[in-house]
Order: sequence, then structure tokens, then C-alpha cells
Amino acid sequence: MHLTAQEERILAGEEGPGRQKAIELLVALGDIYGAERLIPIASAQVSGASFKTIGDAGIKFLEDFSEHAKVTVRSSLNPLGLDLRRWRSMGVEEDFHTKQARIVAAYRKLGVEPLYSCTPYLAGNRPRQGAHIAWAESSATVFANSVLGARTNREGGPSALAAGIIGKTAEYGLHLEENRKPKVMIDLGPVPEGLAPLAGYLVGKIAGRRVPLVRNVRFSEDEHKSFGAAMAATGAVSMYAYSGPMSRSRVDVSDVEERVALSRQEMIRCAEDLSGDGHWDLVAIGCPHCSAPELRRMARFLKGRTPTKESDVWFCTSRKVFASCPEEVGVLRRFGKVLCDTCMVVAPVERIYKRTASDSGKAMVYLPTLGKQRASFRPTMQLLEAISR
Amino acid sequence: MFCFPFGKGSTVGSYAMYQLRLNGMAPVAIVNGTAEPIVATGAIISDIPMVDGVDVGLLRTGDEIVADADMGSVELRGVAEKHVVTSIVRNRGRILLLQRSDHVGSYRGQWAGVSGFIEHGEDSEAAARRELGEEIACGKATLVKHLEPERFRDKEVVWCVHGFLFDVKDRKIRTDWEHQSHAWVAPEEVERFPTVPGLRRIVQKLL
Repeated sequence: MHLTAQEERILAGEEGPGRQKAIELLVALGDIYGAERLIPIASAQVSGASFKTIGDAGIKFLEDFSEHAKVTVRSSLNPLGLDLRRWRSMGVEEDFHTKQARIVAAYRKLGVEPLYSCTPYLAGNRPRQGAHIAWAESSATVFANSVLGARTNREGGPSALAAGIIGKTAEYGLHLEENRKPKVMIDLGPVPEGLAPLAGYLVGKIAGRRVPLVRNVRFSEDEHKSFGAAMAATGAVSMYAYSGPMSRSRVDVSDVEERVALSRQEMIRCAEDLSGDGHWDLVAIGCPHCSAPELRRMARFLKGRTPTKESDVWFCTSRKVFASCPEEVGVLRRFGKVLCDTCMVVAPVERIYKRTASDSGKAMVYLPTLGKQRASFRPTMQLLEAISR
Repeated sequence: MFCFPFGKGSTVGSYAMYQLRLNGMAPVAIVNGTAEPIVATGAIISDIPMVDGVDVGLLRTGDEIVADADMGSVELRGVAEKHVVTSIVRNRGRILLLQRSDHVGSYRGQWAGVSGFIEHGEDSEAAARRELGEEIACGKATLVKHLEPERFRDKEVVWCVHGFLFDVKDRKIRTDWEHQSHAWVAPEEVERFPTVPGLRRIVQKLL
């Protein structure tokens, strides 16, 4: 890689061991991927915030790192393992909270913005089209690349943090136009109500590591959010191109090597395959974090209804969205907990529950693995009907 | 020293390596076939020297290895690399296999192509043609294809095999003391013979 004189100085340790380690990481990744240089970024999104996912080693790493380094561009943080205010009522144990608090303190010292959300783009960190960014959260990465037209690879937690500290990232992968061209074309059949996440779930499996072009996409921004999140969970997909009413520009199809049809029947079959149990300990909505329109829609449906209280209910959102919807939050609270800072994927659900239902395709990948749950998929409306009468 | 082809997984994997460092259980170095971001990140945050681009299939548990992460090199001690040629000689769809005699130094009784050491300073094609003359008294052969050298580990030796495919006009050959018998076989029959290591792969690649 070609480094500027200033970057060489950082690499030589002249700006301290924290910045040195950060740039070592960026240069090593750049070398692996054949990048020629580092490029400035508009923002970073850092993953690895829950004690559940990073453990004691993560705490130690962040505490050591925070002694010597600070981010120099806007950097926001992924969800934690708990709601900082309501963790006790979530059923989170004292020891977990203690460890989580150390992670929070270390990130604060590093200067990372405490958004604690996987949807920074709904909570104030929304990149412009064409902006280079270094985002680690896979669902946010795919949304930023595909819907917002920003440019990021799917960073790991430490590399996104390193990019935030240096304010740069290595120029490879999806930062380069030629790698953003779709390799597989998917003709999407009509998507049944509530199954956009499963459409993404299936697209991710088809695409694997390739950028897909999905045709006939008629999704709202919220549907794109859940569609892309599921795709990034079942495939190593960090970007999709799409055509349909909301698409931004014409797509270059010169690299497309395969064309696949994904029918309505396949989506319905997928919903059946993932339907799991009929009774749950927890109903979890908000993976990725709920937007304000999603909270409004759910509150409108639930307003005149009565809670069944057959299972615990979590509505997960960012604190920013939570604060903007006090009335909706008031309605939803009658039916369950409206949680901020966390979600069912990174909270220690395995210590509290065994069977969880969700409307999220991404959660269908992580609840059974990371969360050790018997997971059941239901479209949002079916979950709302199940928790109310 | 932890040697493996490549890693996969999530960010947690990088932190798991850091945990190994904190527990005093980190490997002294990591040797990879292909470095990928999770392992590279883990190695950097944990200060574990790492070398990639190494064919870890040549390494064995218990080997003495010196890795130099600054140079990006790995030295395998007590193991010699020997450069040899192996020529597959073909005539009308059949290829020549030679059974090594009891008088040779290695792989006695096993079946091989026309093989021999590349002498110091010798060009590999010249070595291949010299062996054709010495071992089967073949003076005229048309080079069809040659392979990038392939490496095989066998005990204390890494054989670096330069594979060649030659066409010959007839099947008249005269073997020397190094071989006890020979056979012209169809390429798919090779697997029925007890062959020297790696021969099948070379035949597959050449044909």
C-alpha cells in the first residue's frame, strides 16, 4: 500500500501506540485485499458492544485501547446487551450489567457516540449518497450501500473502530465501483404481507458472497431495512442492487452471470419452515431496531386492544426513536417492554428464555445460534394479534 | 505455532484470539495459507506474528519452524526440499508407467513417471529430457505441457515436482537399472497402481 508521510508517521508510532495499532490494522487489511491507499471516511459504525458477543477479552481490549486513542470522525455504536435504564426488568443479571458498564465506559472514553443502535441511519448518523464510510453492523452496512448509496465494506468491530480512530479506511471491495456491480439477478415474485424479511433471507442464500440485483422490489424503507438485514445474515452480502419504484439509478448488469427466480410460493414455504412453535416465552419485535413509522403502525393496531400476557414482549428500538414517539411508546408498554440500547440478538436471552418468536429474518439466523432459542417466525401482524385480543 | 489454511467467523473470533493472549495461551505465531480479516485482526490486536501465503499442507505437527513475520517467510528446519522432474510419456492415448527397481534409493517397487533429480544449475526441461534418454532411451519426444512445480511432503523431504507431458512416436523403450518393469496404461487406470506420492494429481493436471 502507498501511505502518505503522515500515515507513515502514525505507523511508526509517532502519534502514540493507540493510533499505531489502529493504522496497523487498516494497513494489514488493505494488504490482504490489495488496496492501494487509505481514503477518508465520513463516519464509522462500531460493532462488538454487547458483553455477550465480545466477552472479557473484548473489555480488556477496549479498556487498553481507550488509554491511548480516540476516534477522529463521527463514530456510533451498536446495541448493547441490555437497556441501560430497564435492564433489571429485562431479567439481566447484576454480573452481566457490571461487565457491560465497563464496555460502555471504554467506548465513551474512545469518543464513540452512544447511539447503541443497529440503525444509526434512523438515529442521526445517516450518510450521504456516495460517501465512503466504515460500518461494521451487517444490517446497517447493507442498508447504507443499497438504499442510501453510501460505500462501505462489512467491517469487523475492531477494524471499524480503527477506521474511526484514523478517520480513514483501506480502499478495496465495495469502495470501488467495479466491485459494486451485481453478479446474480434475482426476479422477485410478489412478496406476501410481512414476508419481506424472508425474501431477504432467501436472497442471501442465493447470493452467497455475490452482489445480487433484485428485480421487482416494491418495498418501503422499513421493508428494505428488514429485507437487507436478513440477506446479510444468511449470505455474506453487504450490498444489493434493485430495480423497482424506489431504485435510485440504472444498474450495470454487465457482470451478471446467473439469473434466478424467487417465487411467492418459495417465500410462503420458507415462512412455514421457520414457523417453529405455537407458544413462546418471548415475542421480540425490532430486529433491526424499529423505526418511528413502525412504532406508529403497531401502536395504531394495538390501541383499542387488550394484552393477552401469554408471553413476554419486547419492542426494540433506538433511544432516539423512542424519545420521538412518546404516545406510541405509551400504547406499546401496555403489551410489553419497549427497550432501547439493545435487542434480542445481542441481549443474553439464553439466560432468560427458551422459545422466542420474532418477525425478523435476521433474528431467525441468530436466535437459534447466538441466543440458543427455539425460534419461530411470524409476520409482524400475526405477532401483534397473538399478544392482544 | 498455529498453522491452518484460513479462518472464518465473526468479529468475536478476533477477540477470542485476544483472550488467548490474555490467558497466556496464544500461539507464538500464526501461519496461514490465506490471511482473512478476522484472523488478521485478531493477530494484530493480540500482537501475534503472522505469516500468510504458505502451503500449510506441507507442514506437520511437531515440525521445527521459524516464522519471520517482518520478512513474511517461514523456514522449515530438518526438512530438505528436493527438486525432481516427472515426465508423463504418452503414445496414442496411453501413458507410460515405470515400476521402480530394488536398486533405487526411494519408493522401491512403486510406479512412477520418468523421474529424476534436477541437477544443480540445470533447467527443468533439460533435466526431463536427460531422464528420458537415461531411463527409457528415448531421444525424441515432443513437449506438450509443463506444470508449475507442485510440492509434496513425505517425511523429512518436500518433493518439489516439475511435471511434464511428452508425446512419443512409438512405444519402444528400453529401461535402465532403475526400473524393473513398465506398462502403457490408460490415464484412468493409474489409480489401480501403487504409485509414488502425488503422481495421480500430476497425471490429472497434465491430461
